[in-house]
Amino acid sequence: MTLWIAHLRRTPLLLFIVLYTIATGGPFVWVASMSVRTTPEIFANPYALPVHLHWNKFMDAWTTSNYGTYFWNSTIVVVTAVAAVTVIGAMAAHCLARYRFRGRRTVRFLILSGLVVPPQLLILSLFQILLDYRLYNSLTGLIIVYVATQLAMTVYILEGFFAQIPQDLFDAARMDGYSDFEIFWRITLPIGLAAIFTTVTLNFIILWNEFLYAVVLLTDDTKRTLPLGIMHFMGGHQLDVGMIATGLMIAILPVILLYAFFSETMIKGMTAGAVR
Amino acid sequence: MMAPSKSTEIPAGWIRASLARARQACQNPVLVFLAPALLIYTGFIVYPVLRTFYNSVHVLRPHNILEFVGFRNFAELFRKDPVFWTSVRNTAIFSVVGTIADVAGGLLLALCLFAKVPLARAWRVVWFTPVLMSYVVVGIIWVWIYDYDWGVVNLVLHWLGLGALEHSWLGDPSTALWAVMVTHLWKWLGFNMIICLAALYALPGEVLGAAELDNCGWIAKLVYVIVPMLRPTLVNLLVLSFIGKMMIFDLVWIMTGGGPLWSTETVSTYVYKRAFDWNTFDLGYPSAIAVVWSIIILLFVVLMTRLLSQREKLEF
Amino acid sequence: MAVVTVDQLSKRYEGSNELAVKDVVFTVDDGEFMVLLGPSGCGKSSVLRMIAGLEPITAGTVSIDGRVMNPVPAKDRDIAMVFQSYALYPHMDVYTNLAFGLRRRGVAREEIDRRVRGVAEKLGLTPFLGRKPHALSGGQRQRVALGRAIVRDPKVFLFDEPLSNLDAALRVTTRNELIKQQHELGTTTIYVTHDQVEAMTMGDRICIMNRGEVIQIGRPLEVYRRPADTFVARFLGNPPMNLLSGRLEGAGERPRLRFAEVAFELSGWSPAVLRSHLGREVTVGVRPEDLWEGPPPGLQSGMVRLPVHVITVEPLGAETLLLLLIGGGDEELIARVGRDTALKNGDLASIALDPSAVHLFDPATSKAITRAD
Repeated sequence: MTLWIAHLRRTPLLLFIVLYTIATGGPFVWVASMSVRTTPEIFANPYALPVHLHWNKFMDAWTTSNYGTYFWNSTIVVVTAVAAVTVIGAMAAHCLARYRFRGRRTVRFLILSGLVVPPQLLILSLFQILLDYRLYNSLTGLIIVYVATQLAMTVYILEGFFAQIPQDLFDAARMDGYSDFEIFWRITLPIGLAAIFTTVTLNFIILWNEFLYAVVLLTDDTKRTLPLGIMHFMGGHQLDVGMIATGLMIAILPVILLYAFFSETMIKGMTAGAVR
Repeated sequence: MMAPSKSTEIPAGWIRASLARARQACQNPVLVFLAPALLIYTGFIVYPVLRTFYNSVHVLRPHNILEFVGFRNFAELFRKDPVFWTSVRNTAIFSVVGTIADVAGGLLLALCLFAKVPLARAWRVVWFTPVLMSYVVVGIIWVWIYDYDWGVVNLVLHWLGLGALEHSWLGDPSTALWAVMVTHLWKWLGFNMIICLAALYALPGEVLGAAELDNCGWIAKLVYVIVPMLRPTLVNLLVLSFIGKMMIFDLVWIMTGGGPLWSTETVSTYVYKRAFDWNTFDLGYPSAIAVVWSIIILLFVVLMTRLLSQREKLEF
Repeated sequence: MAVVTVDQLSKRYEGSNELAVKDVVFTVDDGEFMVLLGPSGCGKSSVLRMIAGLEPITAGTVSIDGRVMNPVPAKDRDIAMVFQSYALYPHMDVYTNLAFGLRRRGVAREEIDRRVRGVAEKLGLTPFLGRKPHALSGGQRQRVALGRAIVRDPKVFLFDEPLSNLDAALRVTTRNELIKQQHELGTTTIYVTHDQVEAMTMGDRICIMNRGEVIQIGRPLEVYRRPADTFVARFLGNPPMNLLSGRLEGAGERPRLRFAEVAFELSGWSPAVLRSHLGREVTVGVRPEDLWEGPPPGLQSGMVRLPVHVITVEPLGAETLLLLLIGGGDEELIARVGRDTALKNGDLASIALDPSAVHLFDPATSKAITRAD
């Protein structure tokens, strides 16, 4: 396998790798640099490194341009939704993996078919439904919708994992007198922690970045999540590139920070749904 | 004081029986575990889907009056809606070309890292970064990259002496769709690369050694050994990528809003516009579009899976 | 003609400071069946892969018929290899597996068909030509792997532990099959294994390796009877050779070997050699089959009797293994005696030893003390 190298003349390969790395990572470095430069500075020389680091732009963005509110909204929505979908999904996955009951196949099919439901089939009716229940334009409504849309993927991943836990552990626990809920709490959850981590990562990234449902179901500026906030700002201040860049950095930083420490977990988490 | 009439009197026995049933249900672990998931799922996935189907055969008149129109929405869609067909064409091109480029590109990137280059782990981490970013971030950055005056693309072309090729990438109807496609690729290649890389590492090394002894250069190895053995993974990626691209909304909305001149209008953006941006507020028609499109996606997925995957499972 | 020469071959793997293969030297003559034998991790597979061209060489050369093969890519070395896991192409049927290498080399279609069918016939694979590997048994897959190598008609065959994935019975029949094929074809063969039975029965010569180095090369019986060091001595032979501590003592013409509370003169040793180790500790090697309960006729005289304490008697049907304590009772000895033995656990008995069958090793270097200078 290692003689593979001899067949490729190495230099073009290495050159390509370096170029592609610049193409992938470059834009983020660029945004980071723009986020601490003022817009006039940027227009004078778009690709220069910052001469003076204008950290105050972050403060401005946070307060004046409302990014603080957007960030806070996103945090509330995403943390709550991820927590909820993890608990609810884990319970459902545990049930489907461990118990045999009539209609199990139907329920499983039902939930997993959610994996292929296109958002278009949902948004219009969800719009109507949330309006009817006065959950429209509310963070609560969005949270519930997020839980619903991420449920299928979460159950899919967790069920696959939970099903692999040897039945012996459960039999032993049952003989030791544990109740069903205690078994779930003390056995499935601790052993399945790795898979749960995976789904938490996946759901976090997807929901932090989610745009379509948010843009349909939220209209108040005070309720906007971060992606929406940035778009709204962009709509009103298209030429204020510097400020937009700062806003983008506020959205990017949490993800990059997590990625810096947990890159392997995040990579595995994001690709979990696709590995067969 | 009047005695309660028979119709409003609730027999005590019935209350006791229901309470007993409820208590028993709470003791049934299956129900307890499944209830929250099923409730949310039924209420916010199943019901909306059914309601969309319901909507599609109605027209929503002012004051929330639903008028049943049968298949008229669908007829109008197929016969009298050029925008719909443009959006279908755009989405189709985007999906087919984009999917092939997506998976082939992911495989090639994975092969680059598989070839025992130094610092492979580091490159891998960087290449995956766009996958983690919101479409808003990606879209805005690339709008800037495609800018006619100061965007990187035009600047590099100018620097390479290819100034004649400079375009207003997102403003020119003939290039806009392709520009969005490149951005979409940029975001997702890392994802396919990771999966292909994992699959490559799972290949038995001795088979690749045997191929070398059988006079295979790296292209022959790729064509005759690697791709056939990677087939299940590749088919998976093709289907996933295809579904994602058929439903594309975010990136298009952010970068072009469907313009210029409908050149990047996709089915999803059109559905959104018909529902919320049209001067006649009617959810019936866009629901019909959503229904039709979902059925088409489903058909294609079934077709693709049938045609492309292999029947026997090869063990190795 | 295919003579394979390996000269000062060395290999260092990335990220490791040690050499996995150190200055290996050997030559395989035309048509010879050379076995590379050694425990796992001794570097034998690495040597094989370097000869094949699948592993880059750190230092040294591999030559075939005098032509240095280091810069030559694997596909141009005219070598065929049978891998431990068979490495069949799982998505191709047996016919295509056999034909693939030839197709890739542009051989004419009729020629390919003739060769493939010929080899399939020889190996009994004709009924399976249309099947894919996952539909074959382990033994059948092994034959396809062998066929794939034969059909190429190469200069050299390389085998990387091809029998280790087969069950015991199949291993014996396949072993004989392989020997038969190799004799018919007369191709130079290098065969890697950790199984000494395979090495003893299949090889024209054995090259024993340990920790990346060649320890000894020779014909099977030669290596068995004259092991170069204690490692080889214990690696070949089942049960392994007994190694005990002893001492050469006594002045005068005939030094005596003292061990296990007996002392006796050694026969078959050059006195000069014995005198040079006089007064020193030596490691004494005795093979289990050289210990007798009652010595066979013809060997009565000169036998030394060792007092032993019988710990375990293991009747194996055709023979019996005895686990014995000798000397003061702290050194163990395994003896191989006939199936009719009267000894029982706990017996105190005496075991006969033929002094000419004793091996001596230098305890400091583990190397054998040769009988003559």
